[in-house]
Order: sequence, then C-alpha cells, then structure tokens
Amino acid sequence: MLALLQILLSGLVTGSLYGLLALGIVLIYRTTGVLNFAYGALAATVTCFLYVLLTGPHLPFWQALLLSLLFALLLGAVVERGFARPLLAAPILTKAIATLALALVLQTVVQALWPQLTSPVHFPTPFEGQALRLGGLYLSLADGLALLTTALLLGLLQLFLQRTRLGIAMRATADSLEAARLMGIPVGLIFLFAWMLASLLAAIAGVLIAARQTVIDVQFMDPVLLLAFIGAVLGGLDRLAGAVVGGLVVGLADNVLALLLAGHSLGTLDLGDPGIRQTLIFAGFVLLLLLRPRGLFGGAALRRV
Amino acid sequence: MKRHILALGNSRSSSPASPGSVLGAESGSAFAAAAGSDWRWLAGLVLLLLTLSGLPFLFEALFGDGADFQLHRVTLILILALAALAQNLLTGYAAQPSLGNAAFFGISAYLLAWLSSDLQQPYWLAVLVALVACALLGLLVGGPALSVSGAYLAIATLGLVVLTGSLLTLWDTSAGRQSYELTALPEVLGDDRSLYYCVLAVVVLIFVGAFHLLRSRVGRAWIALRDSEVAAAACGVALTRYKLLAFVVSAVLTGLAGVLYATWGTTATASMSSVEQTIAFLTMIVVGGPGSLLGSLLGALFVGLVPLLLGELPDPLALGPLQLPIAMLTTGIYGVLLLLALIFFPGGLSAIFARRPFVHASEEGESYGP
Repeated sequence: MLALLQILLSGLVTGSLYGLLALGIVLIYRTTGVLNFAYGALAATVTCFLYVLLTGPHLPFWQALLLSLLFALLLGAVVERGFARPLLAAPILTKAIATLALALVLQTVVQALWPQLTSPVHFPTPFEGQALRLGGLYLSLADGLALLTTALLLGLLQLFLQRTRLGIAMRATADSLEAARLMGIPVGLIFLFAWMLASLLAAIAGVLIAARQTVIDVQFMDPVLLLAFIGAVLGGLDRLAGAVVGGLVVGLADNVLALLLAGHSLGTLDLGDPGIRQTLIFAGFVLLLLLRPRGLFGGAALRRV
Repeated sequence: MKRHILALGNSRSSSPASPGSVLGAESGSAFAAAAGSDWRWLAGLVLLLLTLSGLPFLFEALFGDGADFQLHRVTLILILALAALAQNLLTGYAAQPSLGNAAFFGISAYLLAWLSSDLQQPYWLAVLVALVACALLGLLVGGPALSVSGAYLAIATLGLVVLTGSLLTLWDTSAGRQSYELTALPEVLGDDRSLYYCVLAVVVLIFVGAFHLLRSRVGRAWIALRDSEVAAAACGVALTRYKLLAFVVSAVLTGLAGVLYATWGTTATASMSSVEQTIAFLTMIVVGGPGSLLGSLLGALFVGLVPLLLGELPDPLALGPLQLPIAMLTTGIYGVLLLLALIFFPGGLSAIFARRPFVHASEEGESYGP
C-alpha cells in the first residue's frame, strides 16, 4: 500500500512538472496561436545559463536564480520581437516549424558558448540530498518544491487572468484579435508580455526538472517536451487548469506503468524497459484522443461558417 | 482548360478567410499560376528534366572518381521530394494537418526489408505489398482523423509516429539487430547510377501523375474543401470520401518514398519513423510552399541540399580574424537559414516563381504591430 502511495506521489511530482510545462505551452498557444516546440529549448537555455552562473562565478544559488529568471524574461522578449512577430500572420504549421528552427538555433548557441554542456554535467542545487518524511512516505525537497511551485503558479496565473486588467486584456486578445484591437488593447504589448511570461514559466520548469534530475545537458528537455505536449493536448489546449491536469495524468500514468511493468517480461522482451512505457503512453494517448477528439475536458468545437 | 482551373484557384484570394485551413496554402500551384506564360514554364520544365537526366555525366566531369558518391547523395533529394509531395497533397491541398506520414515511411521500409530479406520474397512483390499495406493503414488513420481536427490531429498523429518508431525499435531489439539490412536487392538498384535513373523515373512519373490528379475532380475537391469545408459540402463535394482519399494517396506515396529510401540506404532504421523525420517532411512543404508541386521540389532541395553544402564548408572556417567551429554550428546555421526562409517567404520558396505575390488568406492575415 505504502509502495503504491509512494508511486502515486512520485507520479504527482512528475505530472506537476509536465503540467507546469504544459501551462506555458497553452498560454502561448492561446494568446499567439503558436504551437511552441521551442519551449523545451527555451527552458534548457535558461537552465544552462543558471548552471554557468553557478559554476563559473560561483554566485549564491538564489542570486543566480534571480538573474536567470531575469534572463528568461529578456530571452522571451527577444524571441517575441525577433522571431514571433515577423511570423505572426503566418499559418500555424509554418509557425510550428519556425519554433523548431528556433530550438535548433538556441541549442547551437548554448553549445557554442558553453561547450561543457554538450555532455551531461552535474547540476548543483542547495536542496540536493534533502528530503521530507510524511508518515512513511519519502519526498525529496526538490520534488516538494516542484509540487508547491506548480500549484502556486497555476493559482496565481488563474487569478491574474481572471482578475487583473492585463490578464483580461490577454484573454480578450486570445479570443478575438480584431475586437481586442478595436477596444484599444495594445495587442503588440500583450504578445510581448505573453512570451515573456511563458519564457519565465519555462525557466522555472527547467530549473525544477534539472534539480530533480541533478544532471543536465543542452538537450535535457527534449524527452520531457513531447510528454508535456501530450499533457497540454489532453487538457484541451485551451484551458490552463486542463493543461496541469493533463500533465498530471501523463505523469501518473508514467509512474504507475513503471510499477506495473517492472520485472515482467514477454518472451525475450523486458517490459520494464522505458521504451515500452513510452509506447504504451502514446498508444493510450492516441486512443483517448479518438474517444474525445478535443481533449479530456474540451467541449464541442464551435465553427464559424 | 487551364484558364478555367485558374479561375477556380484564384477565387481564394478574394474570399476573406478560411477558418479550417492550417496552412494558408497558395491557391493554384506555381505551375498553374503561370498559365499566362505557359511556354516559359514548359521551357523551364524541359531544362530541369534535361539537367536531371544529364546529371550523372555532369558529375563525372566535375567530380571524376567521386561522381557516383555525389550522385548517391542527390538521389536522396529526389526521394525526399516524393515524401514532400505526399505530405503536400495531404496538408497543402487537402488541408489535413496530419503529422503521421513518417509512420508510413518507416513501416513500408520495414515491410520491404522483412519480406525481401527474411521471407525471401521477390523485391517487386515486397514493394507492392508494402504499398498496399500503407494504403490500408492510411485508410485506418484517415478514418478517425475525420473527427479530430487542427492542432489535436497534429499532436495525435505525431504520437502515432513516435508509437510506430518505438514499436519498430522493439522489433529490432527483440530480433537482436541495430537496423534492418536489405540483403536481397535486385542488381539494377545496387549501382548508384542506375538507382539514380530509376528513382528519377519514378519521381517524374509521380509528379506528372500528381499534376494531373490535382487538375481532376479529385484535386479540385481537395482544394475546395481546403478553402472552405462548408462551401465544398454545400456544392456537393463528398467530404469524407475525399479526405480519406487524401490520406490513402499520401500514405501510399510516403510508403513509396520509404521503400526507395530503404533501397537507397540498403537498410531500414527505426529513426525513419521519428519526430525528426516528421519535422523534415513538414519543413519541406512549409519552406517550399504548401499547395504547390514546385514547392515540394524546392523544399526537398532545401532540406536535402543545405545540410550537404554546410557539411562541405571547411572546419574551422576562417572569417577574417575569427575562427568559426563550423562543425558545431552547422545545425544552428541550418536553423537560421530556415527561419530566414520562413520569415521572408511565408508562402514558401515557390512564391519566387509565382506571378502574383503571395496573399495571406489566414484569418489574421493583415499587418500587425502596435
């Protein structure tokens, strides 16, 4: 029983990290209509920047983190102005491909600037090795922080979008660009802000994932990103809470499958292999999408004729 | 006849928006757009064909002993063009943002390898079976795709590709091999030069076929449902039938490309069904020009040739006082070129050859900015 609870807890942590990533993906998709495949690269770039601050000038962790988050905001702004803005009117697949190109560029820049990150390195954090004990359950401090941060950010983001003028303006822009502009909303600034916010979210998710894995390289976000995308699509791509729930579903499925499959084998096939787990998750996802074409919570599609 | 179709194609630019379209595909392909200057297109086409068929001799003069090796690399671009065409028919013409083509790419290659190498069936029979299997699978994927749309369809089919890729990897690992070698190829296809001519013949044939298909009832139905599903349905276009047909045709052509690719590399690998492969397919049509036959060619040229040329740069490259580690930067440079191409030719490179400037038909299709 305790083992199952432990697995569920760890699934919750994995899921919340996927959810955190999915949050930013949905934010960008809703406001600017970009399926952002560069999201992982953005997160990785900021995390690598943090790593360099920590290991190069040996800054204290929190100071370095603050600088990295500022860097994330700047990066978001640069990406929006330099890349997203010129492509704003392009069709959605063109934009998706462009984000992939952006990911290639970001990765190359990081590799060229800090060649030590091409191979896996140890990512130092102050929470390493510390853990909480809840009854018989074990929760590492990094995991606890991940849970807490996701919950906090989701709450704040919801409040921000529902209650503040800027948040409402963002939702209006997402809803109808024309109408928003006619109401005097500076949509250009809104786009800029959305990218900066998403970049900040990416950075936080990246740092938390790095703290959890304790080992990073330039591409450490790549395997995570696709699962986060699945989470986002399961959640419906258009609501923030849905994104987090979708992420949680994926994370829980991942961990529960790991528990169920460990030690079993089918013929010569070792079912505990992570590849099998991923295969099953993707199969389940495709099936689920067939049953509910617009995600778990998505309503019927409204189409303008 | 051509005038007639051109008029149909042009109606797009005057209609304000097509909410269903994911790629603001250019109306009327670059081929058709120049109906007014038919002879120039014909001349260009003849010149292209002559160059392509004379390429082996040109390479012999240029590279000497390395000619066959260079020719081998060019053959890949032709195969890529076929895959680009398949994706373009599905996404650029029939407006289905399906990213699942890489699944067929890998499956057909593995089927070919399995049938010809392990079961010792004749090569041509194996190819035929692989193509039929792809057609059936295309139908199988297309059916559910009718109810899933837009970004959901894109991610779901991407999931399908990853799923296929991991299944193929599982097959490989459980059979204890790295990749599936093709051991029983016909002699003709073993030689670089004859392989090139075979692939060239297939590609030319398919492109001519596609050119005519797009000007038939089928192609017009696809373009109509791309421009407006509602209007197309109202005009009596059987949406379900034509969407399914698009999936099947695209799957078969991708399967053909997969078979040729496996033959080209004499091996089938699980990476043929991967996210990277999907990206390559999509990049080709987006860069080349969605909804344009010429675009498929140009896209394949970009995706195939640019990395090749970048690989030819000296390493490190001395640029004044700077020593650039080119090998490390190649991916990044490719990314930058891709971004530039997308930013400056949002309608694809085929717009260079189009008579009219590209008109955005997407909903947000006008100038932006604060």
